[in-house]
Amino acid sequence: MTDPLALDPVLPARERSKLPFNDPALTSDARYRHFEEHVTGGGKVEATDWMPDEYRTQVLRFVEMHANSELMGVLPEREWIMRAPTLRRKLALTAKVQDEVGHAQLLYRVAEDLGKPREQMIQDLLDGKTKFHNVFHYPTFTWADIGVIAWLVDAAAIVAQQALRDSSYAPYARTMRKICWEESVHIMHGRDVVVTLVTGTAAQRAALQDALNRWWGPLMQMHGPRGDRTKDRDIHWRIKAKTSDELRQEFLSIYVPRIWELGLTLPDPELHQDEATGEWLFTEPDWQELRTVVTNHGPKSEERLAFRRMNWDRTQWVRDTILAAPRVEAAFA
Amino acid sequence: MTDQLPADRGGTAESATSLEPWEVFRQEKEGDPMRHGGSVMAPDAVLAVHYAREMYSRRQESVRLWVVRRADIHDLDDPDLLQPPMDRSFKKPGGYVMREKLAAAREQSGRAKPKGKAK
Amino acid sequence: MTTIRSALVAPELTPELRAALDGLLLSMADDEFVIGFSDSEWTGIAPMLEEDVAMSSLAQDELGHAQALYQLLAALRDDGHDADAIAYDRTPDEYRHARLLDHGRGDWAMTVARRYLYDTADSTRLEAVASSTFGPLRELVEKIRREERYHVMHATAWFERLAGREGEPRERLVAALEALGPDAATVFTPLDNEELLVEAGAIAEPMAAIEARWRAQLTPTFVAHGLPMPPTANLADGRTRHGEPFRWLWNEFTLVRRDDPVAAW
Repeated sequence: MTDPLALDPVLPARERSKLPFNDPALTSDARYRHFEEHVTGGGKVEATDWMPDEYRTQVLRFVEMHANSELMGVLPEREWIMRAPTLRRKLALTAKVQDEVGHAQLLYRVAEDLGKPREQMIQDLLDGKTKFHNVFHYPTFTWADIGVIAWLVDAAAIVAQQALRDSSYAPYARTMRKICWEESVHIMHGRDVVVTLVTGTAAQRAALQDALNRWWGPLMQMHGPRGDRTKDRDIHWRIKAKTSDELRQEFLSIYVPRIWELGLTLPDPELHQDEATGEWLFTEPDWQELRTVVTNHGPKSEERLAFRRMNWDRTQWVRDTILAAPRVEAAFA
Repeated sequence: MTDQLPADRGGTAESATSLEPWEVFRQEKEGDPMRHGGSVMAPDAVLAVHYAREMYSRRQESVRLWVVRRADIHDLDDPDLLQPPMDRSFKKPGGYVMREKLAAAREQSGRAKPKGKAK
Repeated sequence: MTTIRSALVAPELTPELRAALDGLLLSMADDEFVIGFSDSEWTGIAPMLEEDVAMSSLAQDELGHAQALYQLLAALRDDGHDADAIAYDRTPDEYRHARLLDHGRGDWAMTVARRYLYDTADSTRLEAVASSTFGPLRELVEKIRREERYHVMHATAWFERLAGREGEPRERLVAALEALGPDAATVFTPLDNEELLVEAGAIAEPMAAIEARWRAQLTPTFVAHGLPMPPTANLADGRTRHGEPFRWLWNEFTLVRRDDPVAAW
């Protein structure tokens, strides 16, 4: 069986393309140089192109963590699907969480085509060998958390995802365009929940403010610590275009005014925009907390992984028989 | 839709092989070309079609889907075959430059250049 | 909604017929509501991501149908309570879904068995309402039936795969059918005054006749796979005696709303 879209570890890539790095007659050093020139010059890479191991690994790690985050991001909201207080909210939340599962599918497909089987990726996630985003390690206490997650966590995510629509890895870029299109409705749903609570009873408003206070720290940490642009290999390979700090600034400049507009407050007395530079200033986020949380020592890390392990085990028979997924041990070297 | 689905032999043992990728092509509205949307994993054609529907039209964004086993796609990207190096300008409109010859012909006939665009 | 209301407040609608129609709509709406919840419990934890998305679509369809039926009911009652109030603001004993849907989510085989039994039963019931003399119901059912086609296709695909695979899949399916089978026919629990509904043309036949039609459709599949047909059930309390799993479900889905029933959410 030939597999036309399969990847380097599975099959040799396009050898006769016009792109010089696909030419197997060249030395690997020469191919690397051609590839680097192509990518840093704005060129795109397809799954069937030859690519240096470093690039393949780097893209895979990036996409895999993104996929893991979509999958784990289902869990905080999932329990509220059952508790949504009206039929329309129930429908909207079910559809939103469904999209997250769908996005996990799209992203795992991209990663699978880079050579790592989905079962292996899920196994590594369950074993704690790979990571997922910090915001999905925290608990949800009230319906207001659902509004804050759907509006602001999704907004912070979409700021990052929009910057990935032009990724050098073309299958990822295409997927990000589909995901961004689908996610635009999530923010509307979240904002609608938030605005309804803001204009509701005193208790609803208090619950919302409380949720916002709890989520603000994780939101400020979400894009990661400030980094050196020139040392960032994801930027070098144009897998992503923007640094953590650029994304955070973008998020703050769009959403802080919209939060304040509703009469809500943010738990950072230092937070303000510098009028001269336009830059947002804030109390340094707690990077120690971020490191603790993303290494699966967050308040809900273990519980959520255990829940996912339990359900993965309970449905293993379906995959073994009807779906007959290739078993992990054999597949990935 | 039932009639369009592949025959379901899912209950029999021989059809259950293993998960494999199926490529999905979608038509956004009547008259549009079929465009590649992405892929799904499925153990057989019937479930592949179900999953294609879920992944590529759950927002009613398609009017037609084609679902093809990836292994059944024949890939051709050989530049010798697709981008052959010799001159093919005689196959393209841009390969025919006759402005000067036309001007000479008009001068010869004494007629003006017709209005409007034509080939 | 005005047209719906005028059709339902027609002068020929006697109080008895109105009550019977109320019972029909409530039973159909509650069925869709409850199975929609069970299906949505799979969100994020189904056997495979593609299947996860599919199951969520089924849940959304069912809840959408429930919402439309509750809206029809709200128009019929015209007492100031909207669809959400009917759906959420009742005690557990006041729900009228079939006991078939009262077994908790269970494993994947339970879900496949429940979906197969319910979807086939529901589509037979919808057939009997498809030419209802009540225009708003007839029009709604026409749309619902177009969506339910996919449900039957999906349920059948899984049912056949589990039934046809010896070993664990088939064993689990048989166990699920043993647990659910005795309650399968509760979908056809006779409605109060259903003879009035038949007489007025609201439904084509009494529930017992619809059940017979369902059994006739089901038999070839069950015989072909050597599976035990659902036995006849005691239908006296088929829609009124709800078990513990529903109390859990009710507690969940009313949790936020009970917090403040008059607040807007």
